[in-house]
Amino acid sequence: MTTTNQPATVGPNPDALGSRVKGFLGGIPTWILWFFVVIWTIPSLGLFINSFRTKDAMRNSGWWMFWQDSANGYGGLSLQNYSDVLGAEATGGLANGLLNSASIAIVSTIIPIAIAAFAAYAFAWIEFKGRDWLFIAVVALLAVPSQVALIPLLQMYSGGAHLTMPFIDKTLTIFPDLDLAGTIPAVWLTHTGFALPFAIFLIHNYVSGLPRDVFESARIDGADHFTIFWRLVVPLSVPVLATFTIFQFLWTWNDYLIALTMIGANRDAMPATVVVASLAGEFGLREHLLTAGAFIITVVPMIVFFSLQRFFVRGITAGSVKG
Amino acid sequence: MEKVIITIVGIVAAVGASAFVFIGVNKVFDLAPRRWSLFSSLIGGISSLIVFGLLWGNRLIDQPVTVTAVAVLIGTATGYALSRSSSPSIHLAIGMTAGVLLGGLVGITVKPEYFPAIEPVTLLLSVGVGLGLGAAIWVARGRRTGLARPLLLWGSLGWLFGAWLFPALGGGTRVEAVMAAVVLGVGFGAWVGSFPLPDHIMRRDIALESRKYIFLAPALGFILMTLVLPLIKTMYLSLLTGTPTKLTWTGLTNYADIATDPGIIDFSDWTDIFTSRLLWVGVVALLVGMVIARFSGRRLGQTAALNGGSLSAIAFGVILVGFAGFAVVRGTISNNLWWIFAVTIFSTGMGLAVAVLSDRSKGENVAKSMIFMPMAISFVGASIIWRFMYIARPPQKTQTGVMNFVWVKVGEWSNSSTATTVIVILLGLVLAGVLYIAWRGNRARMPAVAGGAVVVALPLLWLIYRFLGPGLGGFAVIEATGQTIGQPILFLQESPFNNFWMMVVLIWIQTGFAMVILSAAIKAVPTELIEASRIDGATESQVFWRITIPQVAPTIGVVVTTLIVTVLKVFDIPKVMTNGNFDTQVLANEMWQRAFTELDFGLGSAIAVVLFLAVLPIMWLNIRRMQKQRAAH
Repeated sequence: MTTTNQPATVGPNPDALGSRVKGFLGGIPTWILWFFVVIWTIPSLGLFINSFRTKDAMRNSGWWMFWQDSANGYGGLSLQNYSDVLGAEATGGLANGLLNSASIAIVSTIIPIAIAAFAAYAFAWIEFKGRDWLFIAVVALLAVPSQVALIPLLQMYSGGAHLTMPFIDKTLTIFPDLDLAGTIPAVWLTHTGFALPFAIFLIHNYVSGLPRDVFESARIDGADHFTIFWRLVVPLSVPVLATFTIFQFLWTWNDYLIALTMIGANRDAMPATVVVASLAGEFGLREHLLTAGAFIITVVPMIVFFSLQRFFVRGITAGSVKG
Repeated sequence: MEKVIITIVGIVAAVGASAFVFIGVNKVFDLAPRRWSLFSSLIGGISSLIVFGLLWGNRLIDQPVTVTAVAVLIGTATGYALSRSSSPSIHLAIGMTAGVLLGGLVGITVKPEYFPAIEPVTLLLSVGVGLGLGAAIWVARGRRTGLARPLLLWGSLGWLFGAWLFPALGGGTRVEAVMAAVVLGVGFGAWVGSFPLPDHIMRRDIALESRKYIFLAPALGFILMTLVLPLIKTMYLSLLTGTPTKLTWTGLTNYADIATDPGIIDFSDWTDIFTSRLLWVGVVALLVGMVIARFSGRRLGQTAALNGGSLSAIAFGVILVGFAGFAVVRGTISNNLWWIFAVTIFSTGMGLAVAVLSDRSKGENVAKSMIFMPMAISFVGASIIWRFMYIARPPQKTQTGVMNFVWVKVGEWSNSSTATTVIVILLGLVLAGVLYIAWRGNRARMPAVAGGAVVVALPLLWLIYRFLGPGLGGFAVIEATGQTIGQPILFLQESPFNNFWMMVVLIWIQTGFAMVILSAAIKAVPTELIEASRIDGATESQVFWRITIPQVAPTIGVVVTTLIVTVLKVFDIPKVMTNGNFDTQVLANEMWQRAFTELDFGLGSAIAVVLFLAVLPIMWLNIRRMQKQRAAH
């Protein structure tokens, strides 16, 4: 017989209910978190889907109705917007803008990284008078908004920088008039300068933490600073150099303010962000191109971000977490 | 295709040139210990190149190419000659000869408009002051070296000022120019020649000691040229007025203009705050928070307890009261403060929430990278993404923006009795569940759970009330027919809350930033600490408020200061979304428009200086924090 003598429980017993409630409560964090994630993803998802839809479809129905576009007679999903926005005629050349962006981002990443690595090494491992004071002064500049430098920099690029000496009233040119305003080198120089405080700070944090013995034994072996830097510091600092590279690449690729100021109206030299933002200025006329344009300027940083997220996160936290 | 090649060539040239200069300089100084002659020649040539390059760049000499080439040759030869002899008198002779040659070269080729009109008194005085300074420095340094060298250097500098810088240029003759240049050259040449030939130890020291300058020079040079000097120049420009080519001194006029501009801050409607629903709801939320704090505090034997329930109600109240204030006091400054208020509170709060939630959830890493992802997107891209979210179309048409679609849909539901019934029943069920949690929490003596549940219950009650009573969402009633139609919100045009909808974009971006940093800080809280407090009987909520929060508090401070700087600099979002129209101007965009659209460099600079002053306290905090960290090491 398989009958049991135990009485069947009628209704849930209080303890079981308690643990079930607890289990449900324990799941709440996950639910709320994923709710956040959905909210956070919707905006980009909408842009992504819209970028494949026709102008009519976008005007007359929400992106969440994309699967009915053909049925509604708006024309199906295609890559038309992308080919239109990249083509020179429609937009003044987003393809051109992408090349400029690449040029700006690559040069403005490599040059500051080299300059900052040398300076960070000097701040960390060469003793000299006033070192701490100088380092703090450099890093304090991290918080200075770039706006405070834009006007004089633009003046310098368009007419050189001149120092009029007080009381003597003679003017000395310290930066020649190279007519850089409206050209990509002006953006390179600006980005390089603006990047240095953060770069020095970030790399110094890492390099100063390298073990002292390594340097001392190398110096006993007769290595000079340049050799130590090249043979020891650079190979040991690859993680932080990678972090800064990614950071600076994203920063310069995404920059709008500096490029807009320094390039001005020179269409040939405009990076993609400026081209797309100018498309946005005529909202309504070519909004179907705007979606594709915005997605194109977004996709490069996204690829970099998702493939190298580890380094990016490290860069953000290194600068901020105490200790 | 052509463009691709130009781009690649540009990149290679820029990177290659920088690398060449930098490695080149290092290699030159590597030569010092072993190949002194080569080193000395190179230094001679390079020094001449720098001096004559400066003359060339200032357009002071005729035929600059030839002259500079000849000067470099002379310099190289001098350097070589100096390295081949160790006799002090020969050194002196070589230095002075080079000085005569180079000085003569300058004197012969300097453009007539720069001929100095030498005044003997000025010249004598100047050289005298120079010699005096040299002697004073020699004494101050403890008279270690001979007196001749400082006298030569400072006397020559005195001559430079007396013969070239003080007198009026263009009034003199060629003879005067040659004399002024040759004497200067001889003075400096003699100074160079007065140095003895360095021995092996000194050569090694030169190679070693020069390195810090070489390593630091490019970085400090760039920082000086692109940050420090421009900052000083901006401060100077802010005292000028006029067109970019013709600026005149007007003192503090620009700052007075900023202060008196009615667009900058406007208190005229501030009494509206008393009729603002936001304010009163906020005050109620504050009161509720205080009541919960008092109740849960009494259970623990304290005056008041801060926990999830009381704190979220109080925070909610503070936000509402703040928004009510910013909504009635308008203007650029008010907008900026509103941005700082909203973005720091929401980004930090939500970042902290997500960091805590993800610490105890499934799929932590995926969720975190999705929320962090907007950090990688440009502000331009993010602004465009959100413009599509905010699209508003005429009431008769379907809404294509997510926000208005939802808003109008809610309006439809609250006007349909079936939908209202369904929604009210659903909300009622959730409300019942929440109240049940509150009851259980109360019985289990977990005031935080109870309080939190009560706080969640209040907005649910409000929602039920809105659906049953006045209705919710975007709809309008047409008087004539009594029909309702959907009424979208013009998110970017309707002032003052269009400001908030733009802040949402930055909050969307920066929450990920706050989350990543706070998440790292939470994970860094020592587990022993948490376990020990659990063993002592602390509840989950007590662990959070008494252990975790105090441990991550310094990091929260870092996040807040970083966010404030980011918000003050925000330019792209207002520029792309409204360009400062519809009452949404902020300082950074105002600065750009004044300076680069209206070409009013004076006013633009003044606004930039205001921005700079706003970040000064944060700079000070950062410096303090860094000094503390250095002291701790």
